[in-house]
Amino acid sequence: MTSVAFELPTELAIDTDVARRVIGEFIRGQLRQAGFERAVVGLSGGIDSALVAYLVAEAIGAERLLCVLMPYRTSSPASRTDAEEVVRRLGCASELIEITAMVDGYFGADGAAGALGPEGAEASPLRRGNFAARMRMAVLYDRSVTWRGLVVGTGNKTESLIGYTTLFGDSACAFNPIGDLYKSQVRQMAAAMGVPDEIIAKAPSADLWPGQTDEAEAGFSYPELDRLLFWLVDKRRSPEELVAKGFPAGQVTWATRALAGAEFKRQVPPIAKLGPRTAGIDYLYPRRRPGSTRT
Amino acid sequence: MQTLRIALAQIAPRLGGFDENLERHRALLDEARAGGADLVVFPELGLTGYLLQDLAGELAIRLDDLRLADLAAETEGLSAVVSFVEESADHRLFIAAALLEDGRLVHVHRKLFLPTYGLFDERRFFAPGDLLRAVPSRLGVGLGIGVCEDFWHLPVPQLLALDGAQVLVNVSSSPGRDLAATNEVGLGTASSWRGLMRTYAQLTTSFVVFVNRVGIEESISFWGGSEVIGPDGAAVFSAPLYDEGLYPVEVDLAEVRRSRIALPLLRDERPELEIRELGRIVAERAGLAPDATADERAEPGLDVAPPASSIVRP
Repeated sequence: MTSVAFELPTELAIDTDVARRVIGEFIRGQLRQAGFERAVVGLSGGIDSALVAYLVAEAIGAERLLCVLMPYRTSSPASRTDAEEVVRRLGCASELIEITAMVDGYFGADGAAGALGPEGAEASPLRRGNFAARMRMAVLYDRSVTWRGLVVGTGNKTESLIGYTTLFGDSACAFNPIGDLYKSQVRQMAAAMGVPDEIIAKAPSADLWPGQTDEAEAGFSYPELDRLLFWLVDKRRSPEELVAKGFPAGQVTWATRALAGAEFKRQVPPIAKLGPRTAGIDYLYPRRRPGSTRT
Repeated sequence: MQTLRIALAQIAPRLGGFDENLERHRALLDEARAGGADLVVFPELGLTGYLLQDLAGELAIRLDDLRLADLAAETEGLSAVVSFVEESADHRLFIAAALLEDGRLVHVHRKLFLPTYGLFDERRFFAPGDLLRAVPSRLGVGLGIGVCEDFWHLPVPQLLALDGAQVLVNVSSSPGRDLAATNEVGLGTASSWRGLMRTYAQLTTSFVVFVNRVGIEESISFWGGSEVIGPDGAAVFSAPLYDEGLYPVEVDLAEVRRSRIALPLLRDERPELEIRELGRIVAERAGLAPDATADERAEPGLDVAPPASSIVRP
């Protein structure tokens, strides 16, 4: 066990042994059903992708895992150091692919216009961040071909519920082993699995711009937000009941809106229903079934 | 000592892989027989996998299907409970559990309760069975077979026991969920099932054989944890969570007699009272009779009238 301190609301504490077992079976099951033996993880230096790398390494062996580090020129050097430490400790394969040329090639840099033309210089940090996330997705899916492995998702339940993800960016994956764990539970799991203390202890950041932190943006801490979402979503309490339970009304309103506003990000885009049988509506099959495995 | 050797086949069926699953059943029947088993129990939809959706119609078999007859032929000197999708003559699809004995199919139970809520969507694809019968077995006991959700309804174990079952068999594909650290064995689903099965065994003074599958389908992990519970409500054997395996368990059927004499709950059941009161309740719920137990101003379905102060007069 690690000595690093982090706040874990009592009701969110999980049995990490059972979780490791379930997630291990899940990872092996997903790969087996798809006919793959290897996996690719985009490693940011943050806790989510570090935990996923540890889980994949435990499930299938570090020799079958490729970690891809994809910094942009403004990415924090500390993030890269932390990601490299994960690779070193796991002993897995890794690649460093800088996405600077891809992002700058579109938005432009240093006064030179990119593919977007002069407008690119005006792009907001949010647009740039989303674009960078989608470039990382494109790299991961390309490396998944060369490595012959599936892309493993690293998004957690908290960010999925509030919509703090980039559609077809960091949320893109073949399967996600930690998407039903709140951030606090990710920390609990990371501590149980021996993820480096520095990674568990540092402030979570999307690293969209220097010094950015998730909690400063949302205005409250992950343990607070996790508890609120747990009672709202998992325990089916109404916003009024949450306020009566002692949650600040402002936080309840913010989280309820964020939750509803991000519904579209959690679902497959709707197809206009025209024909007699339509995928996802009345043509319903398991994602993997006999005949679907690559040979 | 009236020994019954049960083999719990806690397997991970391949979704949609009927032939592969059939082979696995054959191999495990052989292995169980070699180990001296009298009764081999496979999980719900062990021959097809669980999350079938539109595959249900493609994998459904009629009861005279040769593959089922072939599997039955492997039960010479054995009893086995196997589960698959049954298609009736009028093309309804059922989740079925069949008792195979001495080379023959002797009984089919069609799942009665199809969960269609939360993560379940069974009623969309399947029809519910209408019959619940205990069945005499070559093992010298009555068997009462139910499938998964059937045992989340109180009358099922009671009716099976009253009908002559001394061994209740539940075959399941139960998805594990709720990993809160406060749960017994770290899994909410396991805590619930363990509580239910012990209670049924004790209240019916019967053995309960619970066989749950393992493995992964889509997002779902099936948790295993198959068990045999004695008629006193205590676990005789608990299989590990999530591990695939064929688990042999030996029980003494004389425990049923001892329990039922020491604690004659089944003797003291009042089915005539139940049927009388149920008859009344059914008529009242259908609106065919006034609710005899409700306050005068109570709304249908709720016996208690709202407090007078809450009534707003126009």
